[in-house]
Amino acid sequence: MHDLYVKAIDSGRFTGDELTMLEQFAAHHLAYAQSINGLIGKDATNQRNEGVYSAYASQMTTGSAAYRTLQTLENTLVATHTDILSNLDNHDAATLVASIITVEARHAAVFGVLPSMNLASALDNTASSIAPASSATVETTVAP
Amino acid sequence: MSDNTLSRRELLRMGGLTVVGATFLAACGKQANVPESANIASVGEVPPTTGLPAVEVTDEVLMRTAASLEYNAIETYELVLSSGLLKGDYAKLSDAVKRFRDDHTRHADAVNGLAVQLGGKAVTCGNARIRSLYIDPAVKLITETGNPDAGIDVIALAHGLENLATQTYQGVVGLLSTSQLRAAAMRIGADEARHAVVLAQVLNPGYGAVGPTTNETTGKPNVASVPMAFGALSSVQVTIGAPNAEGAKTTLAMETPSLNSLVYDYVSC
Repeated sequence: MHDLYVKAIDSGRFTGDELTMLEQFAAHHLAYAQSINGLIGKDATNQRNEGVYSAYASQMTTGSAAYRTLQTLENTLVATHTDILSNLDNHDAATLVASIITVEARHAAVFGVLPSMNLASALDNTASSIAPASSATVETTVAP
Repeated sequence: MSDNTLSRRELLRMGGLTVVGATFLAACGKQANVPESANIASVGEVPPTTGLPAVEVTDEVLMRTAASLEYNAIETYELVLSSGLLKGDYAKLSDAVKRFRDDHTRHADAVNGLAVQLGGKAVTCGNARIRSLYIDPAVKLITETGNPDAGIDVIALAHGLENLATQTYQGVVGLLSTSQLRAAAMRIGADEARHAVVLAQVLNPGYGAVGPTTNETTGKPNVASVPMAFGALSSVQVTIGAPNAEGAKTTLAMETPSLNSLVYDYVSC
């Protein structure tokens, strides 16, 4: 997720407050990766999921497509982290993941209210989990 | 001086001890016209008290408390719709308010369903303590005469309640005993966070208002859609009401339900 935000930032399509917002969201996801890796310890992979990255990166062809892609992936992460939470017994990990889920939901909602308010886009999450243990189908295609 | 004689100092000390002892014994004795009691002597009669039932913070109590907060939100949105506070530019928010109310009804049904599954009773009313501590005083401030910003203030209250609900669900993750319940809580908590973003953008719109910023005049934080990298569990500040002579509004600090505001098994609507 962090790397997809960096791709959007580096595209040169965004300036000013929009760029600042994307930089903030990128920093958030970097903090999540670092926090989760910190909990995992020596087993942490410390690298992105290449399959997810390439599937989504190829869809960020315009500014609006980038926003749709980022929103879809934020929604997917909300579903995925909630799915993981349902299988997580470690107390510290559960509280950390919960504190991440609420902000990922906020990120996704922001893309629904900006640049113009679309209530359904901000509030509805139809994305499926892509957690390895999930039985859900992996959906990496962004709706137009 | 010989050993069997008393000095003047020793004599005074013994006399003092005698007076203290006599006073103590007199205090322990019966007194005229005072009913006898097994308790420590007191003036007047204390009415008998009824102790609170022994309670435990269980998953069921946490789900019942969550349901009560959902009803607080439902009641507040009903008030917003019926009070006519959404006027002018804010009238277009009616659809959003109805959607939020319906979402909270769905959430209340969901958490009540879990409470019943756990052996408890469903809660179909707002949390009385949250209402009396936060919502009633806020509504009073918003609707008081001379408040020129009632429309935006009621949005600010709703925004505060959505943040409070988000934090409540996030907070109970550390208290619930099963991972399935924790996930169920966060499915709803994520929805509340989305509501908060929509309302935050009404209060402080634009890309520049997404992250944390500070009001240069007051030095206080502006409303932000995404105030922090991680979900906070701190108090929720709501600034509302008619401005005072200096132009400052009242700031209410709202906290997530604690031991005094949980909806225990014995609490009913």
